[in-house]
Amino acid sequence: MITGMERLLAAVNGKKSDRVPVFCNLFDQGALELGVSLEEYYQRGDLVAEAQIKMRARYGYDNVWSLFYVGKEAELMGCKEILFAKDGPPNVKDFVVKEFGDIEKLVIPDDITAHPAFEEQAKCLKILKQELGGRYPICAYLTGSMTLPVLLMGMEKWMELLFWGPPELKNLLLEKTSDFFRKEIAAFRSLGADILLYSNPYGSMDVIPENFFHQESMVWMKRDLEPGGMAGVVYYCGMARLNGAIPSVIKELGIGTYYLSPFDDLAQGLELVGPQRLSCGVINDIPLIDWSKEEIRSEVKRMMEIGRRSPRFLFGTGVMPLYIPQENILTMLEAAYEYGRF
Amino acid sequence: MATNGSPEIVGVTEAFYQAVFDTDRNRAFAVVQQALDQGISAEELVFSAVIPSMDRMIKAVSEDFNASLAQHFMTAQIASQVTDLLLSKFSQKPAVLGRVVIGTAFGDLHTLGKRIVIGCLKSLMVEVTDLGVNVSPEKFVDEAQARGAGVIAISAMMVHTARGEQGALAVRELLAQRGVEDRIKLVVGGAPFRFDPELYKVVRADAWADDGISAGRVITRFLQGEVL
Repeated sequence: MITGMERLLAAVNGKKSDRVPVFCNLFDQGALELGVSLEEYYQRGDLVAEAQIKMRARYGYDNVWSLFYVGKEAELMGCKEILFAKDGPPNVKDFVVKEFGDIEKLVIPDDITAHPAFEEQAKCLKILKQELGGRYPICAYLTGSMTLPVLLMGMEKWMELLFWGPPELKNLLLEKTSDFFRKEIAAFRSLGADILLYSNPYGSMDVIPENFFHQESMVWMKRDLEPGGMAGVVYYCGMARLNGAIPSVIKELGIGTYYLSPFDDLAQGLELVGPQRLSCGVINDIPLIDWSKEEIRSEVKRMMEIGRRSPRFLFGTGVMPLYIPQENILTMLEAAYEYGRF
Repeated sequence: MATNGSPEIVGVTEAFYQAVFDTDRNRAFAVVQQALDQGISAEELVFSAVIPSMDRMIKAVSEDFNASLAQHFMTAQIASQVTDLLLSKFSQKPAVLGRVVIGTAFGDLHTLGKRIVIGCLKSLMVEVTDLGVNVSPEKFVDEAQARGAGVIAISAMMVHTARGEQGALAVRELLAQRGVEDRIKLVVGGAPFRFDPELYKVVRADAWADDGISAGRVITRFLQGEVL
């Protein structure tokens, strides 16, 4: 039986397997799968790994995630308090940088793999590698240096510092977060993650002005990524549009895979990415909560009809809220398998 | 003294709008300071330059100006800060367009969108009470009633805080229980509402806004008694 990795590699090489690879991001659903609270679930790497393995087997999609929640990165940089919810993803509650003066005190661990907050992530990744390694791609989520300050001080304060604050302080923080990113991506690579989702809304012109993208964001993205190279790196702007950034990212960074936004024009995105690189079309999964079966199938069909024109296309999901009924997840996946068949 | 429509105030308004459009805070303040130095009153500047510029910006954003989130943020902050400066120079306390209470939904700690809306509303002479983050439904309604607010604005950046039992749905329930739905409108905004433009109906809000700047228009229309 063909595996998710074989499907992905076929797409990477511009060849057809049995169908378009389908990357489904189920995170909080893991707690439901195991019948535990979200707070308990996210304390243990073995539970996250077990749920990822079970959900992939049950639904039949092509990837698994070593991601817990985005705030984990803040914990690695000193965050002490996370706000857990019963029906959605955890939030950073305690900002490490409460005032600009805290930036100088911010310490990036020398070895993030030795940090207690990384222990359970490493455990999860090790189990996934043992159980599914080489057969199903293991994805890791890594926040870019220009976006990491949002987790440390909140978006409002970060915007103020970024655009109006003292440049030396802004650069000091970005140097620290970029150092963190380099260590984090190296750690996930060494532990065997196959796909490294470079998440950076500040690499989208929906979030920052175009001139700022070229003059600032690109500089920090290069600093983040160039030392380790672009192997396995996927460009993603956290659901913000990225079509406008694609030509520059290809030219200046040479990233080979693009996780588009549901708000991007898919056909235009594929054209900008080009036939030599991989594109992932992403369904707007928030309306999946309320859509009818027909609406879901129609949207998946539309996307697949566009996507299959490219020799290198994946179908993906965005945030997949816990509120999406299980039958709607199944409807979406069955439609993806059906309309994505070669 | 310049009068509404005089060449002086028209020139100031245009220069101020361009500075805000370019998110150039220093230039916006320089334009205002220069106008004050020329003898244009703070009152005239607010009503003939700041408010028309924000109206124009709202129109541009809602129609065709493909502005980034950072531009929305900076625009609202510049306009709000300039308004604060000018209000401190008013000869008498100005009349407000109406009152609004705003906060993030229960369980939600994201503040940026709320701050953009506050900045925009302040520059439109709306009295805004910021209830902060993680606000309970009871607090939203209690404060709105206590302050005579015409609108409760709720910002939610996550699906579970937008749709959850302690979010807008609970606020609507309380408004109905207390019989004040005709006096207090419920407006929502945040990422989940952009991803699903029908979501505001699911959470029983009266309206939603696509972004912080456009929220200014939606809210002020309610305050002026329009039925949307």
